[in-house]
Amino acid sequence: MNHNIILSLLVAWLFSSTAAHAASDKVMTVKTTVDGMVCSFCAQGIVAHFKKHPSVSNVHVDLERKLVILEEKKGSTIKDDEITEYIKKSGFEPKKVERVSTAFETVKNEKPKEKK
Amino acid sequence: MKSLAILFLGTAAAAAHPVSFEGAWQIMLGTSGDVQNFELYHSYTPKTAIGFHAMRFEDERDDDYFAALQHNWLLKRWNLEDAQANIYLGAGVGMAKEDGNSAAPAGLGFFRADYETRRIYTAFETKLVGSEDVSRGVTSLSLGVAPYKAGFEELNTWFIVQFEHVSGMEDDLEIIPKIRLFKGPYFLELGCSLDGDPLLNFMMHF
Repeated sequence: MNHNIILSLLVAWLFSSTAAHAASDKVMTVKTTVDGMVCSFCAQGIVAHFKKHPSVSNVHVDLERKLVILEEKKGSTIKDDEITEYIKKSGFEPKKVERVSTAFETVKNEKPKEKK
Repeated sequence: MKSLAILFLGTAAAAAHPVSFEGAWQIMLGTSGDVQNFELYHSYTPKTAIGFHAMRFEDERDDDYFAALQHNWLLKRWNLEDAQANIYLGAGVGMAKEDGNSAAPAGLGFFRADYETRRIYTAFETKLVGSEDVSRGVTSLSLGVAPYKAGFEELNTWFIVQFEHVSGMEDDLEIIPKIRLFKGPYFLELGCSLDGDPLLNFMMHF
């Protein structure tokens, strides 16, 4: 009986740790909503700053949707605080940071929602 | 005296971007009529930049020069949902050499306010220049429209009219229609005053 409980706990732990490991290995896309981005010349700093971050493999600025889209490297994460700091160093105001499992290119090519 | 005033004519446009992102270097080159302008700044915070500002005025008899160390401040920025507005201040201390005289200490100060969306651009700038003998002000107002909303990686095009006034001179209002183009870190302005003086400004940051 005791052996069965221990075995069940061991299997459950193995599954959970594998799932957690798989999640951290997944490439995540970070969408940050930013105010004030109206000029591509002025927003160059955003790309310049994020390109230097070791956890970021790709950066895109979408002026229409007011988004900075980041692709994290596999198994690597950029902290929300760092995103906020980088946006502010570039002279802008971050509003919301959102992580999605959708591929970077898919998020980049999404059409802007039409204003009602 | 007149030459130093002309020396600063056409400089308002060149100082269109006094502070950039933290860590950026920006270089600005401009020519308007017989005036050449060179500016190099380093933005050591997102609100402060320090650098070098030099100008040369070509005269039939002599060339006049101004060179200064300059500090620029972004006093206030409003990052709005569909717009951005800024207030800048700048001060420079250096030397001016005019009409074949020996170089004399000179100072420069400017105030700038701008507001832009992805389709509308407005900017107001007033600049004061002083040397031992001369004190001049240059004030400009720029109004621009973009014919289309350019994406981040696309070529941006703006049509701008710049009204420029130099204090204490006859025929002191210049009207300069110009086209502004930028893509990536490169910025170019081409124009011509109604008096026929061509204008060219180039800027880049790295």
